[in-house]
Amino acid sequence: MSPATTRHPNTSEPHVSTVKHLIMVENSPSPLPERAIYGFVLYLASQFGFFLYCLWAFVPEEWLHLIGLTYWPQKYWALAVPIYLLVALTISLVILFGVNMNNTAPLDSVDNITDMYAQAQGTNSCHKGGIPRIKDVSISEVNKMFYLSPQAIKSRN
Amino acid sequence: MEDEAFTDISGKAISLDCHSHSGFCREFTVSSPKVSVGKVMVYTCCVWLLAYTVFFFTQNTAVLSSAILITLVGMMFHIHFVKVDHESLLVIGSLGIQVSSCYASGRETTTFIEMSKIKDIVINEAIYMHQIIYYLCVLLKDPAEPKAVSSVVPLFQSSKPRLNCLVKVYKSCQEILSKC
Repeated sequence: MSPATTRHPNTSEPHVSTVKHLIMVENSPSPLPERAIYGFVLYLASQFGFFLYCLWAFVPEEWLHLIGLTYWPQKYWALAVPIYLLVALTISLVILFGVNMNNTAPLDSVDNITDMYAQAQGTNSCHKGGIPRIKDVSISEVNKMFYLSPQAIKSRN
Repeated sequence: MEDEAFTDISGKAISLDCHSHSGFCREFTVSSPKVSVGKVMVYTCCVWLLAYTVFFFTQNTAVLSSAILITLVGMMFHIHFVKVDHESLLVIGSLGIQVSSCYASGRETTTFIEMSKIKDIVINEAIYMHQIIYYLCVLLKDPAEPKAVSSVVPLFQSSKPRLNCLVKVYKSCQEILSKC
């Protein structure tokens, strides 16, 4: 006698004939055989690309014209582009640091004390004996606890 | 009157002077070290030597006179606008607080904040350039909205004392603020 199966009242399909496999896809950075192949292909392609770039940079213009390749950038750019890239990299490092320092709130800004999320939090009543909700403690209370409480005085001495 | 060896955030020695005028009135003065004669002479000599070498190559006397003028004007500007001699905080219970800074030339700037606008005086930590410093600040509130902090006035901005000095001033201020 088969045990009575409890049917969920909202089930639409009466009988499941296909078995669905649920595959857990884990995104992890660990090495895999496919990733090794991708890496090697990219390595070969980049080495080949560099070889082609050197070829274009060193072969004189006349020989390229003889083959039929006439509409290529000037040889000036063979030097200019790498130098531009390196200088841009260095300057962007300095500018990133400067933008960070510029965006830091000054000492007289209210953003150092509180923000709109901390001000908007209300006094929610928690269940008896339950874990209270995480909240922002006001700076006055923090100061009292650090510098005025008897424990603070004890720990400082 | 107390005078202990405190330092500012970069390690230079400063001095704190707490004066209790009465039960509800206290004044704290943080004094920075004075302009040292040696440093002034070193700067002046460097600038004038540089001007003399430029004159040696260009033979233009305007370089020398402009160097002298720049040194004099620069020193006067520094003493009058930049170099702070001492900063003081005067707390009068139920009346307000007065913040004043006195420059090396004798110029004094004063600000008075009335007690109804003051929410609290706290020690806050904030990012300043490449470091995080403790600084004492007055939290101001709008009388119409007593729960929210409307603005922040940092104190002792030029001398920037370290935490031990700030804790002393903080404890003393809280005694007065809690009474009123």
